[in-house]
Amino acid sequence: MPTKTHKPTLSPKPQNDNTEEDLDDYMSMAIAEPVQKTFETSAQRRLRKQREAEARSRPPPAPETSPAEPEPLPPTSKGFKMLSALGYKAGSALGAKGNPNALLQPIGVEIKEDKGGIGHENEKKRKVREEWEKVEGVQKKMKADVGDYRVRVAKEREERRAEGMWWGAMKVLEGLEEGGVEDETRNKEDIEGVDPASMNDREKRPIKTVNLLFRPLIRDRVEKERERRMRYDLQQSLTRNSNYDDPEEDEQDKPAFGNEEEELEENDEEVEEYLTLEPAKRLARVLTELRAEWRYCFWCKHQYEDKQMNGCPGEDEDSHG
Amino acid sequence: MTYRRPEDDGSGRAKRQKTSSSSDSSSQSKDMSEGGVPVDPSAYLQSSTGWSKLKTTPVNERAKKEEADDVKPNPYLTATKDKPGEAKPNPHLVQKNEPAETRPNPYLAHMKQEPKEPKYNPYLAHMDQQQDDGFGYSNGYGHGLKSGKMNGAPTGSTLATFPRHATTAAMASKAEDGPNNPFNGKPLSDQYFNILKTRRNLPVHAQRDEFLNMYHKTQILVFVGETGSGKTTQIPQFVLFDDLPHIQKKLVACTQPRRVAAMSVAERVANELDVTLGEEVGYSIRFEDVTSQKTVLKYMTDGMLLREAMNDNNLQRYSTIILDEAHERTLATDTLMGLLKEVALRRPDLKIVIMSATLDAQKFQSYFNDAPLLAVPGRTHPVEIFYTAEPERDYVEAALRTVLQIHATEPEGDILLFLTGEEEIEDACRKINLEADEMIREADAGPLKTLPLYGTLPPHQQQKIFEPAPKARKPDGRPGRKCIVATNIAETSLTIDGIVYVVDPGFSKQKVYNPRIRVESLLVSPISKASAQQRAGRAGRTRPGKCFRLYTEAAFKKELIEATYPEILRSNLASTVLDLKKLGIDDLVHFDLMDPPAPETLMRALEELNYLACLDDDGNLTVLGKLASEFPLDPALAVMLISSPEFYCSNEMLSLTALLSVPQIFVRPISQRKRADEMKASFAHPDGDHLTMLNVYHAFKGAEAQLNPKQWCHEHFLSLRALQSADNVRMQLKRIMEREEVELMSTPFEDKSYYTNIRRALVAGFFMQVAKREGNGKTYVTVKDNQNVLLHPSTVLAQESEWVVYNEFVLTTKNYIRTITSVKPEWLMDIAPTYYDISTFAKGTVKTELQRVADKIRRKEAMKGGKR
Repeated sequence: MPTKTHKPTLSPKPQNDNTEEDLDDYMSMAIAEPVQKTFETSAQRRLRKQREAEARSRPPPAPETSPAEPEPLPPTSKGFKMLSALGYKAGSALGAKGNPNALLQPIGVEIKEDKGGIGHENEKKRKVREEWEKVEGVQKKMKADVGDYRVRVAKEREERRAEGMWWGAMKVLEGLEEGGVEDETRNKEDIEGVDPASMNDREKRPIKTVNLLFRPLIRDRVEKERERRMRYDLQQSLTRNSNYDDPEEDEQDKPAFGNEEEELEENDEEVEEYLTLEPAKRLARVLTELRAEWRYCFWCKHQYEDKQMNGCPGEDEDSHG
Repeated sequence: MTYRRPEDDGSGRAKRQKTSSSSDSSSQSKDMSEGGVPVDPSAYLQSSTGWSKLKTTPVNERAKKEEADDVKPNPYLTATKDKPGEAKPNPHLVQKNEPAETRPNPYLAHMKQEPKEPKYNPYLAHMDQQQDDGFGYSNGYGHGLKSGKMNGAPTGSTLATFPRHATTAAMASKAEDGPNNPFNGKPLSDQYFNILKTRRNLPVHAQRDEFLNMYHKTQILVFVGETGSGKTTQIPQFVLFDDLPHIQKKLVACTQPRRVAAMSVAERVANELDVTLGEEVGYSIRFEDVTSQKTVLKYMTDGMLLREAMNDNNLQRYSTIILDEAHERTLATDTLMGLLKEVALRRPDLKIVIMSATLDAQKFQSYFNDAPLLAVPGRTHPVEIFYTAEPERDYVEAALRTVLQIHATEPEGDILLFLTGEEEIEDACRKINLEADEMIREADAGPLKTLPLYGTLPPHQQQKIFEPAPKARKPDGRPGRKCIVATNIAETSLTIDGIVYVVDPGFSKQKVYNPRIRVESLLVSPISKASAQQRAGRAGRTRPGKCFRLYTEAAFKKELIEATYPEILRSNLASTVLDLKKLGIDDLVHFDLMDPPAPETLMRALEELNYLACLDDDGNLTVLGKLASEFPLDPALAVMLISSPEFYCSNEMLSLTALLSVPQIFVRPISQRKRADEMKASFAHPDGDHLTMLNVYHAFKGAEAQLNPKQWCHEHFLSLRALQSADNVRMQLKRIMEREEVELMSTPFEDKSYYTNIRRALVAGFFMQVAKREGNGKTYVTVKDNQNVLLHPSTVLAQESEWVVYNEFVLTTKNYIRTITSVKPEWLMDIAPTYYDISTFAKGTVKTELQRVADKIRRKEAMKGGKR
């Protein structure tokens, strides 16, 4: 047991310290071995914290199903032994050989909790189940089990990362397809500081003709551009308050405000389907395209000369360290 | 696990209803005066260890005499005594009975005339035959033929010429036609001929020859007859005229699952045969034997036959055994069937008839090695069945509504409503009466008489259900009807004529037992399809009827099991195992039961009996076990009673055992709860309910209460009926104790260990029903089984008790223990060291606490040793 003088200097103990044991122990006469308190350096401490955090973030192993039913008598119990002594063999039934009526397990006990008639309980259960299924449909994603939280967070993080890389990869692909632009930095400028005028001829052609793999990128860009333009128009015109959302504005009104053309892309089924894929799969598709068509490795950030792509350590991220 | 109070499940077994309605108060007060006598401890020391030695001693003469004096004169038996000349004493009997008399026979107990007329003891009839080779039962056939006089039939009786096991219906008819009674030679009465006419109209009568043919050819016969076929009354008579048991000085036995049925059927059959009940036809139920030396047909409870088999493993007294209502599958019936299967092999002369009311006859057939089957259609009318469209939210409310609706809209005819228990039934009766009164006032409905019917209802009140329905109030008014609200007691055995409407909510109280937590309880459970059919059938007894099922047809098909689980699968088998051992069945594992229970159930029973020291580790019956089996009690209670002299309080434990064997003694009407609780508090002992009950009993036996017991009980919110039954049970048990020489003694009341001794004696039987408090809270946890329980709100236990023994585990959504007394852990380890062997406990607070107590004891001992 650590002495009191040590305590203030100690680094915070790990959470799982069992304080109960400490309490129980205070009367014992045994003299504890002086505990070697390691004084960790800040680096060690950081490492430890990191490890602990990692351990915490790891999803806990699936909990074992707790036995709600009372357990059968173990072979170690007196009754089991006595019956065995009388010639009983574990797992067999009592009575004459081959009696089909013989029970192996005792009859379960069910307690009736209310005055509900026969069938009422199941009717109630059925109704509750239906009700629950309705609610569940809406809340399924929101109301994940607490125990799943970490698993979910980890998964979401993975998805976000894959999504980010997917956007990057799409830009690379676009760059390569739309005129041999190779580096990403150029792409970035594309979004932020592109000259609307030069953009225009590209945007003129229907979005649907663009390679599906990076069509979302173009679409996104078009939408942003349109928004920007609308904001600009509004500021210029003053005829219409941007915050004013007229519920009565309908399809017919739209052409009047100059946003008729958008209808087309809204139902681009191909893209919709593409977008329903998991981000990691979308990324994989783009990367395969890059490798196959452009001998470009997203991880090496390099366009190879030869088809074999000599020098690239592998197809996936892990092999690139 | 407990000897349960006869709750109102309606399935009243003989085991539960150990009481007969009459009681002899003079002998009871004598008991009490004995109870107060201080006991010399040295005398006790000899006897307390002595009980193990005295098993083989013959029946105590003193006890026998006292028993004879105690017994209320039985009118039937007195009648026998008055005209001894009527019976032709068999010379063999007279001769052989004298030496046999010294044999201990527990069934002698009730025979009043026995000390004076030993030769008339029918119970010993078989003994002489056993001794007399060549005069055996096995070939009595020819013997009867040779000499009409010898066969006990009156000279000139047609029976004297009957070839045994070769008669026909025509021969029997002739004998029945008289003019003299073939059994006692007296002229037959007019009433007899009237009944004979109706008897010959019964469905079974048409198949008498068919039955006889089959009976002649086979040893075991399965007979299926729907209710109303007349099988219970007629088949035993068919057998009687063919089996001629009197030729061999044997009897025909017909078992019934219920006491009431055994009594009422015997009475009916005695009328049909124009004999006095208790002579040629008698009955035997626990604590009541109405038979005589002349008896040839005996109706008895299945439990009673089982008890007889314990002392007569081959059932030598009987030439034919008829198991009636076998479909009810009581614990005793199932055990008997297993036994009879074995006895049939040992006794080829014994004939067995299994009678069942339902159609699962194939099961009986195949169990009895493909025995032949005879089925007789019942005389029933069609019953129209109605289901509800939607499941009911509250079946009681729905039932009341249905009853009132029937009363308002349906034509004349009585109603039978099935509910689950006493409380529910009494409550329903009250409500129906209230509503009906209103209907009469406002809607000019006919009068409606509502009558309860359940197992614990006193017999005279049960009889009321047979009274006719009330008459219309005005000559041209709407006819009245009666409505019987019953437990499943009215499902099979009790037949009430006039029922046209049955209301079936689909529930009954059923016993359940879970060996894993060792809890036996009565729970409201859905009935089976077979039960539902049986209930519906009750509506078609007199004319076409209607059955209103308070559930949907889909629920009937999907939710109800096919047939009710036999009792043996739903019971603690400790008592049964003790019985089987006593029946000489050693291979419990392969004992051929019709429905063998789960192995765990048997394991638990063996374990319990071993802890109670009734069985040794190899499963053999110990001396204590043999003694315990003499008591018609749950083994734990029997052991508690037997070991009570060790604690100087056997008188008190005897009273307590009796009190625990009867229905609740405290009455708590809803309207006067507060007052009732106050009254109960005036008897309360702070250490627990057992002691409180004992206080009540002692007060009840006091002079003040005995002046007017009825008044006194009413004022103190006590059940006179329960207390009187307790008195009666006490008397019966006392006789057994005296017979078995278990000493009766008391600690002087002034002694400060008076109550402590009682509490310690309680532990000797109930050490397996102990709970320990968890922390400082209200919850307790049962020892070893680790069930969380609460103390039942009815307890008087005032102190904060760490350890308690309980009598009953009430299985509900919240588990309660009821009838509780506080005990000390030291006692547990002292009195039941094997059970409280600390090494056998799983880790937990119970183990820790026991360890602490054990350490404390050890330290104390060490200190004592040090001082010396």
